[in-house]
Amino acid sequence: MNEASMIGMLSTTVSFGALLYLACIGELISEKAGVLNLGVEGMMALGAVTGFLVALNTENPWLALLVAMIVTAAFALIHGVFSVVLGAEQVVSGLSLTFLGLGLSAFFGKSAVGNPPGAILANVDWGPLSDIPWAGPILFQQSPMVYFALLVGLLTSFLLTRTSIGLALRGAGESASTVDTAGHSVVKIRLAAVATGGALAGAAGSYLTLSLTTSWQDGATAGRGWIAVALVIFGAWKPGRAAIGALLFGGLLALKTRLQTFGVDFSPILLSMIPYLLTIGVLLAISIRARHRPSASPAEIGQVYRREER
Amino acid sequence: MKRLVLVRREQPLRGGQPLSFLIGLLVALLAGILLLVASGHNPIEIYERLFNSSVGSSNAWAKTLNRAVPLGLAGLAVAVAGSMGLWNIGAEGQILAGAMMAAWMAQIFDTLSSPILIPIMLIASILGGALLASGPGIARAQIGVNEIITTLMLNEVALRLLQWLIHGPWKDPESRGFPLAPLLADEARLPKLFGRAHWGVIIAFLVIALFGFVVSRTAWGYELKVAGSSGATARYAGISLNKKIITVMVLSGGIAGLAGGIELSGTSDRIVEGVSGGYGFAGIIVAALALMRPSGVAAVALIFGAVQVGGLSIQTLGVSSSVSTILQALILFGAIGAGVFNRYSLKSVKREKKGGST
Repeated sequence: MNEASMIGMLSTTVSFGALLYLACIGELISEKAGVLNLGVEGMMALGAVTGFLVALNTENPWLALLVAMIVTAAFALIHGVFSVVLGAEQVVSGLSLTFLGLGLSAFFGKSAVGNPPGAILANVDWGPLSDIPWAGPILFQQSPMVYFALLVGLLTSFLLTRTSIGLALRGAGESASTVDTAGHSVVKIRLAAVATGGALAGAAGSYLTLSLTTSWQDGATAGRGWIAVALVIFGAWKPGRAAIGALLFGGLLALKTRLQTFGVDFSPILLSMIPYLLTIGVLLAISIRARHRPSASPAEIGQVYRREER
Repeated sequence: MKRLVLVRREQPLRGGQPLSFLIGLLVALLAGILLLVASGHNPIEIYERLFNSSVGSSNAWAKTLNRAVPLGLAGLAVAVAGSMGLWNIGAEGQILAGAMMAAWMAQIFDTLSSPILIPIMLIASILGGALLASGPGIARAQIGVNEIITTLMLNEVALRLLQWLIHGPWKDPESRGFPLAPLLADEARLPKLFGRAHWGVIIAFLVIALFGFVVSRTAWGYELKVAGSSGATARYAGISLNKKIITVMVLSGGIAGLAGGIELSGTSDRIVEGVSGGYGFAGIIVAALALMRPSGVAAVALIFGAVQVGGLSIQTLGVSSSVSTILQALILFGAIGAGVFNRYSLKSVKREKKGGST
């Protein structure tokens, strides 16, 4: 293993990590407000194809990103309306959203398969910083989405813990009736959280097609939406811990294609099992600890809030 | 000013769910027309093909029935867990586990003849699915671990395990480097019922009927529902909740595993990644539409089977087969939307002045 391949691997770790992190923070916000959204994989796919198609037609990557985020936010609201307003089971409605998203992205993306990108989100040049050995290529020659992901994580962490918006959001997931009594609309908070989650999953999807693969094909998201769902739990619903998890899972994705180059005789397929097994392990640990202290998981996740049934 | 509010009905509408389902189906088909027209296709031609290729001939029915088998069993697996308020999101992985076990048996006992080998394969497939679901069941019962996430994660684990087997230990030396498992022997294939329809149709029907009976007509099934609606009541009644949770998850996994065994032995040439075909996830939608009732599962699975078969057939007309995926999701959303009115009625009330609570 030489220096160049090591740098390549670490740089990919950061870019994959950022992709997972964006979608994960979206899901985290939604879950914090009490809405489990298993539609991440579908939202990501829809964001990926929307971003790619808009870029193809307008050659403007930023517009593509923006449109993709708006479209997936609106798309996520399908889940929001069905589960929050109409009281459908979150699991079922979320999974159907994945179905719908994968179906729609394959349907509308059909014409774009094999096309070169209309525009890409080019890597940011940080001037002299980009030339630093190791740190330059790993941290300062990345897609703008990497820095966006970092910003989103910091902002979310701040909003959740330091602001009244964050308090109301967490309240909607921990004790909806309390938030209601305090004069906030639980339904509106939850819908806003779901839409934000959708926008971020869409951002992750367009990051994939506008920066990483720069092409579209069916199944391009390759289960990364599910990893993002796992990551929320792995990070115990905390943006900081989720960031560490994102780098770890991103690293595993980056390592997967490089095991042979590194001369390691281990199946890359078995390696890709690790994130899921780790997540199960963390969930077990959280549950065992929850017997003695408050659980990390939002208390009312998955529950419909209806005032008259309070 | 007036506004509309949803008011809960004292009793859910009778016969409301089949009606909601039909409305959902209608909504999906209408939305499908919009989608097809918007993308420049002729919806009549495409729907005609969809209909003919799924239920228009005995050949078409055979394909639809074959598809309905894994959908119905996966739906039943979800419904059995769901009747106790548990979510088995892992049917997809349990189907794979079942198929892997069945394929393994076919490799080990390659000298046995069909009447002995096939039962062995199917029993092994039940065990495989049950084994995969037992972990989440035990974790839920003993330490309260959310079974939604554990079963979901195990889907991915099972898929990787299968990929690894196909790329490694099970790779056919005659596949010229392709990651393919060897072809199944003829002895390992389920006999045909008529046309392409295989005996899995009968097996699935019997299993669904059996569980329909057990869940709705036996004391055990009644306890299940009590435990699902209120853990406290169940404990007063002396029902062992933990034991029930584990039993139900193991049964649920076993049913999904059987779907994998039948799918492998009935329709596949060899074990491939796609053997689970998304049936596990579709099964969740099937069970939800059937309100977790086995009898409903069979009906919904049949219709979903037809939609899937039809969806594949329209590819030849230049339409993406993803239309069928879209239709399935839309059926569910349409039905949920319509189903709201089974439980609630829409009333128009006067909007109160500021400060009042509705």
